[in-house]
Amino acid sequence: MTIAENLFENLRLELRRGCLTLAVLAQLRQEHYGYTLRKALAERGLTIDESTLYPLLRRLESQGLLASEWREEDKRNKRFYHLNSDGEQMLGELLEEWNTLNASVIATVSSQSA
Amino acid sequence: MELLDRYLEAVRKHLPWKRQDDILAELRANLEAQLEDKEHELGRPLTKEEAEAWLKQVGSPIQVAAPYLPQQYLIGPRIFPMYWFVLRTVFVWATVIYCIVTAVTIVAPGYLDLDALAGAILRLPVVLMTAAAWVTLIFAIIEFAATHYPEKCPAISGVTVDWSPSTLPPVVTKPMHGTKPRSYARAVAEAVFGFLALAWLILVPSHPYLLFGPGIYYLQSLPYQLGPVWITFYQWVVVLNLFHVIWHCVDLWSGQWEEPQRVKKIVFQAVGLIPLAVLFSAPGHLYITLKHPAFDLEKYGGTVYTINESIHKGLFVVGVIVVIQLIVEMGKVAVDAYRGRPASEY
Repeated sequence: MTIAENLFENLRLELRRGCLTLAVLAQLRQEHYGYTLRKALAERGLTIDESTLYPLLRRLESQGLLASEWREEDKRNKRFYHLNSDGEQMLGELLEEWNTLNASVIATVSSQSA
Repeated sequence: MELLDRYLEAVRKHLPWKRQDDILAELRANLEAQLEDKEHELGRPLTKEEAEAWLKQVGSPIQVAAPYLPQQYLIGPRIFPMYWFVLRTVFVWATVIYCIVTAVTIVAPGYLDLDALAGAILRLPVVLMTAAAWVTLIFAIIEFAATHYPEKCPAISGVTVDWSPSTLPPVVTKPMHGTKPRSYARAVAEAVFGFLALAWLILVPSHPYLLFGPGIYYLQSLPYQLGPVWITFYQWVVVLNLFHVIWHCVDLWSGQWEEPQRVKKIVFQAVGLIPLAVLFSAPGHLYITLKHPAFDLEKYGGTVYTINESIHKGLFVVGVIVVIQLIVEMGKVAVDAYRGRPASEY
């Protein structure tokens, strides 16, 4: 990997980090366990590594935004996550921030290219 | 699947022990579901090579376990600037204190133990590494506390120490055209060697061979001795060297080592004229005297007079050169100030 490619990769990961959290919170308005959540995000074009997603779920749960429970499904115990009320509120605030930021970035980029 | 079991056991070794079982159970469920999907797509179990390729794609055990670890930093980016500042300060002061203590210890017995001196110099890196280890340990504890108990140390966790723009140090001007900024290592080396030179200077009266070498035995056999003016001269030189070393240390401590301050330099150069003036104004120009004037005056009196007058004339020439250098330096500062850089910037 060249220096430029490495730099791009680092900046890309930085850009994605916050967006992924938002996407995970939004997707968990519907209950999922780790693997199905990953598949659901991938179907919407958001691929995410196992080593990123599963610890992220733990972290969001420890931050009080997700609730989880172990349950048997297809003869296998799985940990299901879903957004709790605090998570709902946080998601609303983050979406508002995201929309403002997105609009600002688009406006800035448009004005530069015009 | 045996390969998956081995993989998960390898991951376990790197997980926080309190949550190992819980994390592994979840990871196993997710990976087994993924494996089932893959096998369903293929219509057959994965071969060993395919399973290996899949697990390699998931990531190495340590890479998979690492994000579950609670703390990734020994000293995090929030407090690292403070850590770096303290470490530099401690380095400077540890060096200064060590040099003083060493100089005193070596001088105390009344003779110079070269082995002890060499040992003391070689111990300096160990002293600095020990100091650095203590500072690092303390900051690692602060980082741990700020991360785990942010409610108990909000000032640390947010680095919200009170400060005011008016208490910030003045802007360091860019180096003059053609001059390079002084590096931190060079500034520290100057301070250390300044201390060693000072220790050497203090040792010279009791150990004159440090100055004259084996030649001291020849000098002792001569009928001449140094005049009393040299004692005053020596005292001034010691004081000025001490002043110089302290100045270096203050520059280091205040973070102004990059560019020597010209006004300070001129002041030091001007003060440096004092020892010369002391010598130049020696009563009767008695730089060299006879050890036994009653016996040797007739034989060596003329030689002593010639030597003393030569030294006096030599001092005059040196004094004139130093004064000219001083005037030139002051002129440069004045010209730069006239060209728009206020004198306070120097």
